[in-house]
Amino acid sequence: MATPKYRYLRGYTIDPGFSTRLDTMGVNESVYKIKWEELFPGPIGEYVEVIDFDPANDCFYEPVDLDAKEILAENGLSPSEGNAKFHQQFVYAVIMQTIENFEKALGRKIIWRSNLQWKDGRPDTAAEYVQKLRVYPHALMDANAFYAPEKVALLFGYFQAANRILGSNFPGGAVFTCLSPDIVAHETTHAILDSIFPRYLENTNPDVPAFHEAFADIVALLQRFSNAKLLEHQIEQTRGRLDEYNVMGELATQFGQALETGRGALRSAIGSIDKKSGKWKKNEPNPARYQHCYEAHDRGAILVATIFDAFMRLYNFRTQDLLRIATQGSGILPQGSIHPDLVKRLSAEAADIASHLLWICIRALDYCPPFDITFGTYLRALITADSDICPEDNNGYRIALIEAFRAWGIFPEKVNTLSVYSLRWSPPDLNAAEKKALKLMAGHIKEDVRKIGRMTDRAGIALEYKKVQAKLQRVLVNPAVNAAVEWRREGLNQQDWKSFLKKIGVVTDVKSFTIRHGKERTEFTVNPKLEVHSVRPAFRTGRGDEIIEQVIISLSQSHRIKSGEFKGAKFRGGCTIVLSIKNDLLEVDYIILKRFDSDQRLAAQISYQFGAASLQAMPVSGYDEPGNTHAVNFQQLHLH
Amino acid sequence: MASAVTVNIKMYRVGELGDCFLLRFTSGQEKSHVLIDCGSFSNSKASAERMKEIATDIKKQIGNNRLNVIAGTHQHNDHLSGFVHASSVFESMPPDQVWLSWLDNPDDKKAREIGKDYNNYLRSLRLISQELHRPGFASNEVKNKLDGLMGFHGFSPQELSKKARTESLPPAVPAQARDILQRIGKKKPAYLSPGEVFPLPGLFGEPVKVYVLGPPKNEELLYDKEPGKGESFDPKLAANSTTAQRMLNAMQKISNPGKPDNEEAPFPFYEPFRESGNFKQVWDSYYSKKEAWRTIDLDWLNQAEQLALWLDGFTNNSSLVLAFELVQSNKVLLFAADAQAGNWNSWREIKWKKKPKDFNWLSLMHNTVLYKAGHHGSHNSTLVEGLDNMTHEELVVMIPVDKSDPHITKKNGWKMPAANLYKELKKRSKNRVIRMDDGFSKVKAWNELKGKPSGNSLYWQFEIKG
Repeated sequence: MATPKYRYLRGYTIDPGFSTRLDTMGVNESVYKIKWEELFPGPIGEYVEVIDFDPANDCFYEPVDLDAKEILAENGLSPSEGNAKFHQQFVYAVIMQTIENFEKALGRKIIWRSNLQWKDGRPDTAAEYVQKLRVYPHALMDANAFYAPEKVALLFGYFQAANRILGSNFPGGAVFTCLSPDIVAHETTHAILDSIFPRYLENTNPDVPAFHEAFADIVALLQRFSNAKLLEHQIEQTRGRLDEYNVMGELATQFGQALETGRGALRSAIGSIDKKSGKWKKNEPNPARYQHCYEAHDRGAILVATIFDAFMRLYNFRTQDLLRIATQGSGILPQGSIHPDLVKRLSAEAADIASHLLWICIRALDYCPPFDITFGTYLRALITADSDICPEDNNGYRIALIEAFRAWGIFPEKVNTLSVYSLRWSPPDLNAAEKKALKLMAGHIKEDVRKIGRMTDRAGIALEYKKVQAKLQRVLVNPAVNAAVEWRREGLNQQDWKSFLKKIGVVTDVKSFTIRHGKERTEFTVNPKLEVHSVRPAFRTGRGDEIIEQVIISLSQSHRIKSGEFKGAKFRGGCTIVLSIKNDLLEVDYIILKRFDSDQRLAAQISYQFGAASLQAMPVSGYDEPGNTHAVNFQQLHLH
Repeated sequence: MASAVTVNIKMYRVGELGDCFLLRFTSGQEKSHVLIDCGSFSNSKASAERMKEIATDIKKQIGNNRLNVIAGTHQHNDHLSGFVHASSVFESMPPDQVWLSWLDNPDDKKAREIGKDYNNYLRSLRLISQELHRPGFASNEVKNKLDGLMGFHGFSPQELSKKARTESLPPAVPAQARDILQRIGKKKPAYLSPGEVFPLPGLFGEPVKVYVLGPPKNEELLYDKEPGKGESFDPKLAANSTTAQRMLNAMQKISNPGKPDNEEAPFPFYEPFRESGNFKQVWDSYYSKKEAWRTIDLDWLNQAEQLALWLDGFTNNSSLVLAFELVQSNKVLLFAADAQAGNWNSWREIKWKKKPKDFNWLSLMHNTVLYKAGHHGSHNSTLVEGLDNMTHEELVVMIPVDKSDPHITKKNGWKMPAANLYKELKKRSKNRVIRMDDGFSKVKAWNELKGKPSGNSLYWQFEIKG
């Protein structure tokens, strides 16, 4: 008998509080369609293990068996706040949905962050691979939820609602963070982003901690907007106020509120509900905020608002015709309810835009540097990712993104114009010898990468990743004896090889640095080791259903300042290389560089980590030194 | 035209973390004395003795003059303990009036509600700290952190480690101090709210004006009916107070397993879905030796520190913040107590009584010539925007910090003053920084000013003319 394709699981569409309100009751139950997999009671599957241990009550809650006949037959347990088994089912459903969105967009398997255990002073490589993300739905008796990288786990809390009657709260009732789809998606995204870029926890510029928060919100927000049923309901409710941002804005603001107990980067960035009139009001984009705002959430909110702005621009652009048709060209809707057909069409458009935008946002990760991300870099990654997938932008996605980033004052460095052409990463400028060197390098890993691309077993893939990374490392900086033979065969010499490495940002010689900070000067020299951070094949489908086969390589070199005024600062350089496989040939599409041999980059990092801005960047307690050399700490970021 | 004023500022050397500032304003023949806080971190015998010594000196300094005002900024031991330990000295020189914040006003309904939540919160935390001393929880490092933070409320680890559970807790020193302050003045206490501007008592012709900046009193919140926000000074107070209570209950249940459940309903589930069903795979994972690094048995206790930090921040934000303006020269002395970001940020929105529309908090920052650094120089008690606007050529900074305080010297101790902030403070004041422990360094920039700092074993002092 063939295994089923999907498992259908009932769950909340938005927070459970909305189920007990007449106006949202009907819409707050959705059926999540999750790829079928074998599950043990927990649920424990291939990617996640839900372990429902509640340390504050010192007990385990009985694990749900989603294969039980009575549960399977009814699309899972029915949504209920009072049933721990439903909680387990629900976190499982939302996490799997989020993972699926990422795997689809990235075209490869998600492999969680490696285990950071040490054994006898060395990383314990035997224990490195972590198959399952651990999920604790009732880990804390607290209004908090966070991703703990050191445990590769999501910890969700529960708490008692205030004893006063507020909104739709049940005063004194229990509130579960694991029942909010937005919160679960947000935390899962932290875990996935960390699995791709573990170095994004290194706080090297003000955008880094903000990016983690913002990206997690963007994914959760766009997942919410991909739900056509929810949008239909929302549009129906508005009775004609369709011309403005209201409909979507309110929904996004609700989202901000759902995350208010800490997780939200969005808050009131896009708009807020006027306290007296009760109506939603849009905030005008304020480009000054990006210049002056250093606190991680506030800064993150700028990026979320920017993406939301792009979404709104696309929505307004793409629904103009529908509104003209519906209003005989006047643009003014008659009084009363909107025609249900129009509601359907409008929400279908919005959901379509949201899911495409989500794809672009995720896919852009492969065009980002492996550390030291900035919002401007992310814009370039977005534009490049979309250009690759859809060479002709007939739907306006790229223009909408550029307009939104401009409106919010986020500009990439070293770009002369804000056009698609100049924002897109450019192919590297390699001379003939360097091209040969690149080909030589690529040739070494081509077969390995293809092999990985055909594999489905994640443990096996993780193992192969390590092998190919080690191999590439040897090829690049530790050429065995026969490398010279190889070089000669291709007509290359050592100098050519070095200049190729230089082009991809790899420093091979001893390098000395000078940091000027105020009047002080610090000098040091390093002989940096090269780390091959990742070699990842990706197969993905474009908007026009074309298949693209790529390899993404990221490299980094680092140095930690061990003494003196800037002690503790870790400086990295390196790159992401995007190769594509066309007609069996490897070609280099882009090199996204963060130069190691750049005094300017180092000075900027030092000034951020030790300068005045460091006083307001991280939410450390007043009893600690603020400085920005601390790793990003989600538990603190998520608690207020 | 207002006449010139000389202000002498004495920062008493309490010998550990603590604030005690005596200000003497002289205008012509008249003097006005203002004492802002008198406290130190510990309530040990030695600390109490030191406070008595200091109070006696204050009495000597005032001599035959009057002590016009005592300002008690907020309910932390390191700001108020002296009023308890040296109460007899203070009783013998009662001030004309005591200034407290509106939050201390027993006739203010909102303040009373906040006070109730606050006291419940504090009580839970105190009992949580006791629980943390039990062997089952003891391995957790959060215990030590909590002990330190509870010190601000006047609780010592010795008291906290008492094995017996105290159901009736004696009032803490800061609360006792407030009671004393509320009755000690010749006049009824003044409960101050932001936006108030009034002449400093005791001087003819109103040459000094007092501006009240904090603690915030945001009436707006009263209209806010969004879920998650309450009719409260800070909606988080009630919520966190409940969380603390819940946490305490859970800890007590674990440490007294034999004790039958009290009437409290089980939380969060009414039906316990426990210990039946197929746990095999779940337990295999959780108890696997190889996966021990992923367990969470004690992680939930970490929030005790977060809860304590939050209450600490809340208390610091309840600080009465005062600015004294020497009217003739517009020079400002800023006493921000321990105000954190929430308090500082609220100054922007203050609607000043009897002031032109364009007057705002930045006008006060620009004219600040003396800044009493918030919270012993910790980094989050000086708002960067505030500091950025302290642009007066004559700026002097006083930091009531003592580097020998055990909370600073201990391993991973408190970073006071925070290195980065300290650097900024020195930069902006051209190194005219007076510290409670080390005093000042003899830099040239002092020559730009009329007054010179000096000191002895009891205090550092400095004079401003304007």
